[in-house]
Amino acid sequence: MTKLDELQHHFLHYLLGQASDIERHIESTPVLSAAGRLNIYANGYKLRLKEAITTDYEKLHGYLGDEQFDSVMERYIEKYPSHQTNLRYYSVNMPQLLQDETPFNSLPVLAELATIEQAFANSFDAKDVALVTIEDLAALAPEAWATLQFTFQKSVQILSLNYNSFPIWKALAAEETPPDVEQADQSNSWIVWRQADLISHYRPLATEEAAVIELAMQGKTFADICEKLLDFFDEQQTPIKAIGFLQSWIQEEMLAGFDYE
Amino acid sequence: MSRPFLGFGLGLRTEYYQHVIDHKPQVDWFEIISENYMVPGGKPLANLDKIRADYPMVMHGVSMSIGSVDPLNLDYLTKLKQLIARVEPHWISDHLCWTTVNHINSHDLLPLPYNEATIDHIVDRIKQVQDILGRQMLIENLSSYVTYNNSEMPEWQFVNEIAKRADCYILLDINNIFVSANNHHFDPHDYVNGIDSERVMQFHLAGHSYNGDMIIDTHDHDVCDPVWDLYGYALKRFGAVSTMIERDDNIPSFAELRQELTIAETIAAQTLSPKQLDISDNVVLKGVA
Repeated sequence: MTKLDELQHHFLHYLLGQASDIERHIESTPVLSAAGRLNIYANGYKLRLKEAITTDYEKLHGYLGDEQFDSVMERYIEKYPSHQTNLRYYSVNMPQLLQDETPFNSLPVLAELATIEQAFANSFDAKDVALVTIEDLAALAPEAWATLQFTFQKSVQILSLNYNSFPIWKALAAEETPPDVEQADQSNSWIVWRQADLISHYRPLATEEAAVIELAMQGKTFADICEKLLDFFDEQQTPIKAIGFLQSWIQEEMLAGFDYE
Repeated sequence: MSRPFLGFGLGLRTEYYQHVIDHKPQVDWFEIISENYMVPGGKPLANLDKIRADYPMVMHGVSMSIGSVDPLNLDYLTKLKQLIARVEPHWISDHLCWTTVNHINSHDLLPLPYNEATIDHIVDRIKQVQDILGRQMLIENLSSYVTYNNSEMPEWQFVNEIAKRADCYILLDINNIFVSANNHHFDPHDYVNGIDSERVMQFHLAGHSYNGDMIIDTHDHDVCDPVWDLYGYALKRFGAVSTMIERDDNIPSFAELRQELTIAETIAAQTLSPKQLDISDNVVLKGVA
């Protein structure tokens, strides 16, 4: 190991709060000791990462309050050193941390709130793509429909939540008192996506739409979608419902492409 | 070559996007933080494209980690090259520091020991980066709070040697000289006098904060009078150098920051001739053979 190698590893270990002998490589001056000088970097390290987390999880911060949010950030920084070149992506593991770790996982709504905030962040700067229009589909030959598959634009994300986390998120966004936590009878699905005006949107998904949009996003065909809808509707209603969903996905600027055999 | 001069610029920050797009204020150029635009799409890139259509730009990075003992991050350099192709900046810069080791990013600009072994290490890496990017880059001096006991030379000699041997340019941060001079007890004028004039391509100006007897490079205040004095001194020594103000916290209105830039313009007008302050056209630093 070269001297530079050794210095950098010791410096990093120091920043991460691990055993390090970096101090003996640093000059003390009458104004400030080596330890005091290094401490400026230790403070800066945490401050910078906390600033990034605070930017990304504003609503979670509002829900928990300063003290509890700080303990979440402390644990995150301890568990997840950054492997990112861009601070934008530093806190991507927050939902996982809140789901895995006690005491945070005793309140599952926290992981769900973090998931919602992350979905909006991902939607905000997802890749720009050309969108499918109603005219594109209208031009298809009738025989194309059976094997028709869809590509959704990159900002489209489906969130399956077990609590009333979205109403809580909405209240926090409006700076209102959030409702009490309630566990849902069954998982509730929401969709988050960005439209061409670069604004992110969200809405709840009814059970039937949630079932088929997930299939569509997995690359299943229009025929598969219709078959799934038979779980909810009769044979007469099913094609109308399928077309209705497809039209709304196009009008809401969710579809980026289609393919068929 | 004679030094190209872009005039007086500002750091482009998200708080200013709408004002700049709506009002097209008079600013000679903007500097962007490269990493802020290394995202797939959406508003950051849309705003960047709109503003780039109206203003010259340079790109300033914080994550190249040119002084690290880790291998160069080729994924990062690929993304940087893609952004360069999109922005077509007059030049790109990063810091003479290390940020990452063992692939763990401190997200800080950490100082290096000033000695021959470090120079050799960094010169080799800058040459590789310039080859990959196909253009020369600028390296910026840091604000620092520690001195390693294996440093063998003053910082300005370290900066000069690297710029000369790697054939790159220097982004001289006037505030960082002032901050480090205070923290390491040297005369900032010695630093300015020691830097090779022909390698200086850009100046940074910024504000800072006191923490006891130490000064921290916080970019959260206006530029202070002693830094303005040092800026005037640097202009006398180097002549016209493209100058911008960095502000990253406690962000003022655009009008206030623009007003602060007029101080730089006034000092330059008092120090240099109008001919020296002629803005250069079509500046792009040369490619690497």
